[in-house]
Amino acid sequence: MPPRQRDSIFIEVDSDSDVSILGDGDDDYTRSKGKGKGKATDKRKKDKGKAKAKEQAYTWEASYTRSWDTVQEDEAGSLQGAVEDWMARGRRRRLLAPAAAIRRTIIRHLILLLDLSASMMDRDMRPTRFDLSLQYAREFITEWFDQNPLGQIGVVGMRAGIGERIGEMSGNPQDVLKAIADRHRLEPVGEPSLQNAIEMARSSMSHLPTHSSREILVIFGSLTTCDPGNIHDTLDICVKNKIRISVVALAAEMKICRELCDKTGGQFGVAMNEGHFKDILFESVPPPAQRAVARTTGAGTANPAADLMMMGFPTRLPDTSPPSLCVCHSEMKSEGFLCPRCMAKVCDVPTDCDICGLMIVSSPHLARSYHHLFPVKPYQAVISLEDTPDPETSCHACARIFPTTATTTATTEGMSPLGRYQCVDCHHDFCTDCDVFVHDVIHCCPGCGK
Amino acid sequence: MEKASHLSVIVDLSPTQWHLSAQADNQYPLSIQTFLSQLLAFLNTHIASQHENTLAVFGALPGKSVMLYSSTDVVADDAIAPDANSYPPFKAVDSTVVQNMMYEFDAFQKSDHEPPCDLVGALTKALCYINRITHPSTTANSAAEDPSILPDPRILILSVSPDLSPSYIPIMNSIFSAQKLKVTIDICKIYGPDTVFLQQAAHLTNGSYIYLERRDALLQYLIMSFLSPPAIRKVLAVPKQDKVDFRAACFCHKNIVDIGFVCSVCLSIFCQPVPVCSTCRTKFPIKTLQRLNASRPSLNPVNSRNSLPLANLNNASPRPTPTRNLNGVS
Amino acid sequence: MPSVQSLQPGDISTSQNSPHVLLPFLQSQPQNTLTRLYQRPSSCLSIFRLLGPLERQLIMNLLWLESAIPTNTMAAWVVPEGKKLYNDALTVMTGLHIIQNPTVKLALNSTFRSSLRQAITGGGNTGSFGVPADKDDKRQPNAIELLDAYALERWETILHYMVSSGQGQLPTKPSSGVLYLLQRSELMKANHGATLQITSSGFQFLLHSPHDQLWDLLLQYLHMAEERQMDLVEVLSFLFMLSTMELGREYSTDSLSQTQKVLLEDLRDYGLIWQKKSSSKRFSPTRLATTLTSLSPSLPTSNSRTGSGTNAVGVAASSAQQGFIVLETNYRVYAYTDNPLQTAVLNLFITMKYRFPNLVVGMLTRESVRKALANGISAEQIISYLSTHAHPQMRKNNPLLPVTVQDQIRLWELERNRLKSAEGYLYKDFASQADYMYVLEYAKQLDVVLWENGAKRCFFGSLEGHANVRGFIERRTGGG
Repeated sequence: MPPRQRDSIFIEVDSDSDVSILGDGDDDYTRSKGKGKGKATDKRKKDKGKAKAKEQAYTWEASYTRSWDTVQEDEAGSLQGAVEDWMARGRRRRLLAPAAAIRRTIIRHLILLLDLSASMMDRDMRPTRFDLSLQYAREFITEWFDQNPLGQIGVVGMRAGIGERIGEMSGNPQDVLKAIADRHRLEPVGEPSLQNAIEMARSSMSHLPTHSSREILVIFGSLTTCDPGNIHDTLDICVKNKIRISVVALAAEMKICRELCDKTGGQFGVAMNEGHFKDILFESVPPPAQRAVARTTGAGTANPAADLMMMGFPTRLPDTSPPSLCVCHSEMKSEGFLCPRCMAKVCDVPTDCDICGLMIVSSPHLARSYHHLFPVKPYQAVISLEDTPDPETSCHACARIFPTTATTTATTEGMSPLGRYQCVDCHHDFCTDCDVFVHDVIHCCPGCGK
Repeated sequence: MEKASHLSVIVDLSPTQWHLSAQADNQYPLSIQTFLSQLLAFLNTHIASQHENTLAVFGALPGKSVMLYSSTDVVADDAIAPDANSYPPFKAVDSTVVQNMMYEFDAFQKSDHEPPCDLVGALTKALCYINRITHPSTTANSAAEDPSILPDPRILILSVSPDLSPSYIPIMNSIFSAQKLKVTIDICKIYGPDTVFLQQAAHLTNGSYIYLERRDALLQYLIMSFLSPPAIRKVLAVPKQDKVDFRAACFCHKNIVDIGFVCSVCLSIFCQPVPVCSTCRTKFPIKTLQRLNASRPSLNPVNSRNSLPLANLNNASPRPTPTRNLNGVS
Repeated sequence: MPSVQSLQPGDISTSQNSPHVLLPFLQSQPQNTLTRLYQRPSSCLSIFRLLGPLERQLIMNLLWLESAIPTNTMAAWVVPEGKKLYNDALTVMTGLHIIQNPTVKLALNSTFRSSLRQAITGGGNTGSFGVPADKDDKRQPNAIELLDAYALERWETILHYMVSSGQGQLPTKPSSGVLYLLQRSELMKANHGATLQITSSGFQFLLHSPHDQLWDLLLQYLHMAEERQMDLVEVLSFLFMLSTMELGREYSTDSLSQTQKVLLEDLRDYGLIWQKKSSSKRFSPTRLATTLTSLSPSLPTSNSRTGSGTNAVGVAASSAQQGFIVLETNYRVYAYTDNPLQTAVLNLFITMKYRFPNLVVGMLTRESVRKALANGISAEQIISYLSTHAHPQMRKNNPLLPVTVQDQIRLWELERNRLKSAEGYLYKDFASQADYMYVLEYAKQLDVVLWENGAKRCFFGSLEGHANVRGFIERRTGGG
């Protein structure tokens, strides 16, 4: 049986990832749907073990999530209440989030372990487990690099009893995507071997510096593994090397998989349908909060996992500048980046300068993760205007005119009946949309700049 | 015909900088009056280009930011007297912008210490506004917006102030939200030294950063480089900036640094080795500190932009640097 | 919704290539007519808006330059792939005499330049943006809803008259001026002397968007004006003036010339202008007029009006863009409308099944589509009508219309085109195979062979090639 705490995971799914802008227009719709799926699947899960077939005769039926079940109409038949309810939930979640800076491992290294055994050809997920995994892996890689710009991903496949290196560790999403682009090169065959593949992944991460995280993410479709030796030895070495293993199983829970995750501090999940598969895969996207283990080992003294690194911020030359040789490939080109210390020209960042060894990163790469560090304080819902002598007439950010009278009578906790939310620092009022937009996307208060 | 485009113009209205810009000892003095008349002509041109084009004007004033005009929030009809000789929308823009600007200038108290211009506020407001018009919410009765014709949004920043290092993180956050909203940020640097952050903004959002060399030809610059929507830029090339400076501001002293020390846990940047990260309170090993202190480039004073060697020593032929003075006229 | 978004740019780029219908007409005018037109800032502004985006940018680049710039300098801004577009743009502008002698130096027509500058900066005393009427204290100016309703009623009367003429019903007749124009433009034709019948170009007209329909009619009007010896410049500048006017404001007729007053009456019949009574000294443009040079919907659809009578104008304008048709893969069409005009238009190519108060259900059948094709409507027009009026729910699909249905409509059209006729000559009875081959070879070089049969020693050549082939055979027989 899958773990019981699934429900809470669902609420947290997008707690850290940025809301995608494209779907923002019908944001309320998608989110309430996501939530609905959580409940629906939760229900389904209870009797999944014995009566899966009874509840869901065909897989295609699963695509028709009964989203309407979760939306309750009020007495007047309006959905307003339901929509407000989820918004209030989102607001409360933000209020509950710790205001203090969270420590996260941001320089991440991840090996994506793809099951390429014959069991991946099963069609219980559309079109096949294999095709779906590839498709999700691509989306995962894009999203992962978006949120972990300084991270690197390598790809290893499990096929015909051996581990197979598919893509080298790389910080460039295009390289990684290219490695898994060719479907025919990855055609599933034979039995998988967890031990071989994990050993291979482990060895390719053994040289990494201590301050970076090492993670393995396994997409596992098989119910067997054929290993040359004792996999528990491998597990022990992984624990010692602080490698975090997460497994997304497509078939059912295996004891060894669960143990791999539990012992290394990773997450384990069994995908129940296509949507759920994607959800649990994407749980690995946000940087994991650093494990308590790592913190307590160096209690009082310096944290061995943390380090101060010297980095250089380069100047980018345009493609109209006179061509010169680059130090990395010795090719004549116009565009490139100049190392700030030795003025050598390198082709791409982030990298280590080949001349002086300085780590060169472009500052936007670093800055992408700063909103994790300095979140905007949650705005307070304005309940009434009685004690404000001269209220603002329009939203301080987008200049939308506020309604003068309360629109809804049913006041949920954390919701303003006037549609006004106030920044605790600058005391400006913002509308509902801007409240969401500021906290989820901009991460910077338009009133006080912080 | 093509899609409408939305333009948000952010005007930097720092009294000190404009005063300096109007000084006669500049090569091309530009006063705020001349600037304003050319800006209004440019705004009119944008509206003229297409009936559906929308426009918003934001002002970054010392310590505050205001919305000066937006084409969706129409002012009361009677405020503007109709006139047979001018196109009504042009007149509405001109009078509203000038009126609001004057109001803000009047409200501005003269003091010895002028707080820096709130560019971040103006930028975030512009983004919120764009978010509002491109994603019309269902709750608000945004009748004027037509979901099927969403405008192509752009932001143009007319900057006169130098970089403000404390606003590094908010500006970067705004840039990333602009990327997500698919907003192009164009920068026209009218006066003062190049700003590192705005260069990055233009680079990351695929906009163009132009340093105004001939300030008497402002309008021509504006029209040729910033009027065209992205679709046209594929046909008529628009000058991009020649190089992008990827420097960042450190968290400890807000200096702009080219070599910094970065916490591996939270990626905070410091201009000198520190024993404890001020952001996430991680303690760093003593050994690292000693090593870094030893290898620290002593000849490179971290906070001076001016001493940064700009010549590419590795290049056989040094890049021809434009004639302009990189350190600005101030 | 990503599918829709990815669809739209494509649509835009294709429509971008076709210039506005008015431009060819303007290009055909002599230079001094255009120069006189360019004297008015409002005309310059409107023409500027009718041009493509690239042309507009080029004009703006040149607008504030005092002297001509070398052609090479401007061409240096053009990226290599854009060369063709750039040259096309220059040709269009030269045709309109906006740019003169583009071979050496580029400069705007000086009249055009000064007028457009004036339009943008304001000032001057041409009064080309319409003289507003004095405030009338007794009466509020018309509400925008009223103007919209008026424009809609007028316009739908015209269209409804057209569409129902084919079915023998006789709804309210539009005014005689409109009837004359419809007849003149061959959208309708007098049948047996008495009743007007819609023509095949009339059917095509019905499927166009309101904006195109309006310009089609106005273009016809301009042609007619030429014949009626009206001053074209006055007509055009009046139209352009209307397009720059503000909706919901009243303008005075005092400054109008005699021609323009005549025009006022005609345009009132089309619904572009509202006047309290024909002798009134003031008039208000309707949405039809103020959106002449824009791409926003020029008509508030009647859907919204019928939905709830109290709907605000903004809602009406936005729902105009929303479609009402759902097309399923089984050829069924559901149209959420109660508008007799829309129903009638659909009836052109759909077999109606049921009618409900707000819903019409029909089928696309071979017969119904063939009937439409016989009326001169093309398959592409049917498809584009269905896709432009697709229901918002349909817009989630990618592709928008079911491929099977699209293909079938096209196949039905192809069915009609199985026979293709071409005029020409059959060459036969060649004396020998060698002769035949020799002549055939020659004809093939000229690319005039439409059909050949080696066994029967004959081939069919097109009309144009006949003289050459004949000459060739004569020379050969004469010589040999």
